[in-house]
Amino acid sequence: MTGQVNGRPVPGLGGTGRIADELYLIAHHELTGRPHLAPRAVGLGLAGALLAELILAGAITVAAGAVVAAAPGQAGDQLTAAVAAQIAGEDIHPVADWLAFLGRTAAGDVAARLERAGYLAPPPRRSWRAARWVPVDPDCAFAPVARLNAALNLSRPGDGQAVALGGLAAACGLGPRLGLYLEPGARTCIDALVPLLGPGLRAVIAQTHTAVDAALLAHRI
Amino acid sequence: MSPAQTAQHKPGAVSRALATDRLGIPAVLFFVLAGVAPLTVAAGVIPTAYATTGLTGIPAAFVVIAVVLAIFSAGYMAMARSIRNAGAFYAFIAAGLGKVAGVAAALVALLAYSLLQVGLYGAFGPNAAALAGAHLGVHAPWWAFALGAWAVVAVLGLARVEITGRVLGVLLCAELAVIVAQTIGGLARPVGGHLSFATLSPTALGSAGFATFGVLAVVAVLGFVGFEQAPVLAEEVRRPKRTVPAATYTALGLIAVVYAGASWAMAAHAGTSHVVAAAAAQGPGLLFGLSGSGVLSQAAQWLFLSSLFAAALAFHNSVWRYAFSLGRENVLPAALGRTGPSNIPRAASLLQSATGLAVITGYALAGAQPMQALFFDLGTTGGLGIMILLAATSAAVVVFFARDPRGESIWPRLIAPALAAVLLTGIVILAIQHYATLLGVPPASPAAWILPGAYAAVAATGLAWGLILKIRRPHIYAAIGLGAHAITTAPARQPR
Repeated sequence: MTGQVNGRPVPGLGGTGRIADELYLIAHHELTGRPHLAPRAVGLGLAGALLAELILAGAITVAAGAVVAAAPGQAGDQLTAAVAAQIAGEDIHPVADWLAFLGRTAAGDVAARLERAGYLAPPPRRSWRAARWVPVDPDCAFAPVARLNAALNLSRPGDGQAVALGGLAAACGLGPRLGLYLEPGARTCIDALVPLLGPGLRAVIAQTHTAVDAALLAHRI
Repeated sequence: MSPAQTAQHKPGAVSRALATDRLGIPAVLFFVLAGVAPLTVAAGVIPTAYATTGLTGIPAAFVVIAVVLAIFSAGYMAMARSIRNAGAFYAFIAAGLGKVAGVAAALVALLAYSLLQVGLYGAFGPNAAALAGAHLGVHAPWWAFALGAWAVVAVLGLARVEITGRVLGVLLCAELAVIVAQTIGGLARPVGGHLSFATLSPTALGSAGFATFGVLAVVAVLGFVGFEQAPVLAEEVRRPKRTVPAATYTALGLIAVVYAGASWAMAAHAGTSHVVAAAAAQGPGLLFGLSGSGVLSQAAQWLFLSSLFAAALAFHNSVWRYAFSLGRENVLPAALGRTGPSNIPRAASLLQSATGLAVITGYALAGAQPMQALFFDLGTTGGLGIMILLAATSAAVVVFFARDPRGESIWPRLIAPALAAVLLTGIVILAIQHYATLLGVPPASPAAWILPGAYAAVAATGLAWGLILKIRRPHIYAAIGLGAHAITTAPARQPR
């Protein structure tokens, strides 16, 4: 949950409740903001997470492997509303195409959203290095891993958002990192519960995994 | 376009944006040629092949094999458009000849590319030792330099660093420039003042009996290894139907001209009847001395080292990609298909590094001659493996399109691949029959049957493993050959 101090947003240990925000924080170092993955894998994972947010909101569906606009007005914030409007205004494209398209800019878009929510400090201007957002509060930046650990429990299989987040994190290559912090039961939980997600989320997770691996095999990561 | 710019978003913007990110012909051509490592072949393979086989038809073999590979490519390119994971021979063979055959092909490919990679240390070691001794005053055995290169490749492989983009482009252009300059220099100074075309003539192929053509063909195919890589980028190019074939045929033509020219220049400069003895005496120096320019020769020797190193790293990355793909499909242990931090496939990379260390150590302890026994023998055996895969892939193309022509004309779907299958199978048989000539050993030597026999052993293992998967693990069997697409194309495994 994001709070306000003197009219400015401040981060909270409860997070923003959005999959892409959580995935961004898991995929970057909580102190330095350095990515734990190759840039293209980060982009593809976050693109998948944005699509997952829209599926959970009911704004889009996945039919026969393609993304279809359902109720674009259901998107919850500026970023997902923009993505939903793009999907609604486009010809129908496969999930893989949307991952590739959104993946080009998803890291910057999600970082900007987290900046607006108070979780990330903006990158220094006119830096010769690539723009890198830095977490404002390392505890809040690390909290998504702890939340995921608590939410992934085979005895409480109802948290579809946590399962989707875990599935997307594993799909883009964060499995070993999660393995450092998640209890063994939580890892098993991801493997066991992802197949029980709705077909749209399952398709997005599988296509994200395929896109990351295909990029690796094609020398493009 | 960022979602923040949605106001300007028009239908078709997704396709346009994705198209601008995709690769054109020059990028794919560079990618293919970089994997070919021209100076490694021109300075390493060609002189050693002259010296070892004693055959002088190498220039003509490059031209003939380029034609055979162009015929092969017609069907290969057509099928690449119709299958997933088009960067790997075993995917073609699994789709055409069945998944059991696909597993056998996968293991043959893994062995072949692995031999090609470790063989390069056998050239890097002695040539680096010679250069360091002559110019830097550093004297150490070949294996010390080979282990140094191995260590750097192992570390860069674990960091997933690849020599790409501008560095590779500059190296490649410099290598080609050196080869062309030496070739022109050699042709301008033929022995006796008379330029002989004898080694370019088709009759040169049978100068020691027609059957030795198989030996020459393996040497030539070794030079072309890497040409098959363009379909790896099939999903990354702007117009797969045009870009991938255009890059492949251009690469084949360019490689054929450069290698045939360089090997012809060596024979012309030394004399057709003396080139074998000259190659045995001078090794890579046979190329470096063609122009008579000391500066060019020096530059070529250092570039030769960088070419060998770049090739070792490129092949290392090819091998782990093969192992990673097979691990993803669970055909090999799943650990090989997992990635670590920064998406690095640690286990697959370490496996090849361990192989390299074991081979270098074994050759050093055995006191074997590295340029001949490690670089040439293992390299040509890798070339034989690629030839076997080319023949099997051609047969797979014929069977694949016999089931469904998919709108392809009769040349790419039947005539070209059938012709390629017959030619390549014949070449493989001839090569195996005369493997002792290829290795330059007596016919009774164990190496003449152990090295080609290794492919029979891994193929038999692959067939058995493929059958076990078919019977015992049908969900893994269903995904064989799909690579990264294994989870999205194969039937879903039921949750337990």
